[in-house]
Amino acid sequence: MVIVNGTEEQQVAGQTITAFLTAREAPIDNIVVELNGEIIHRPQFDDKQLTENDRVELISFVGGGR
Amino acid sequence: MSETISAPTLQGLPLSDVYHGMKARNVKDSTERLTAAHVVIAGCGGLGTNIAIALTRIGVGHLTLIDFDSVELSNLNRQQFKLSQVGMPKVVAMKQNLQEFNPFVTIDTVQTEVTRDNIPDLFKDADIICEAFDNPAAKALLLDTVSDVFPDKPLVMGTGMAGVHSANTVTTKHPRPNLYIAGDGESKGAEGLMAPRVMVAAGHEANMITQLILGIHDL
Repeated sequence: MVIVNGTEEQQVAGQTITAFLTAREAPIDNIVVELNGEIIHRPQFDDKQLTENDRVELISFVGGGR
Repeated sequence: MSETISAPTLQGLPLSDVYHGMKARNVKDSTERLTAAHVVIAGCGGLGTNIAIALTRIGVGHLTLIDFDSVELSNLNRQQFKLSQVGMPKVVAMKQNLQEFNPFVTIDTVQTEVTRDNIPDLFKDADIICEAFDNPAAKALLLDTVSDVFPDKPLVMGTGMAGVHSANTVTTKHPRPNLYIAGDGESKGAEGLMAPRVMVAAGHEANMITQLILGIHDL
């Protein structure tokens, strides 16, 4: 079980950040990933794996402002 | 023969009268902290121009404006440029306007695109970093990089201020240390962007920056 934005999700542990975001069809470029309180920098997305009881916060951005 | 040296004036008034008069309605005991602050604003559009005006009016001492673009007609429904400034680099036009509002603010301009590589240099002197981009990937890149390079600098961002929706859905959130995000979190620029709602989000960002400068961190 991994907690994603406060909600428990099953069958997520073991995935890389890239696989996890791709499976959610999330716009990867527009998202910053916080794992157990630390921001995971983009170059680590392909290697960093989620493990049981991780807490993931997805900070997503939408366009408009400039 | 003695020479008379007259005190400098502005609009026919002694400079110090103008300086103090312009601060007369600021909140008590704010001048010292506001004057000492350096805010670097990344993006000079709907958010950035409105934020810069608010911070200039209250006398934030030092602003740096960063934008690569020039003023276009389509900007004028929400960005604080004038019709006469179409075609000018945005940062140059905005500096002109800001100096008319308050000549006592130091304004630096950088006409460039913000990239992972130039972030360390662009923001090294900032007390507070203000994100005012349009592009969501640029927003994410800035947070990703700033959290790595400048984890101790407050970063104030905006996301979601498009369309015609209630102003009350725009809020400021504090999702992690040193990060503040204003906006409704979901409305996208493709809905259209108009001054009133963009100014709500800009007001949130400018107000959070003012609070941080004055040491009042509550949301």
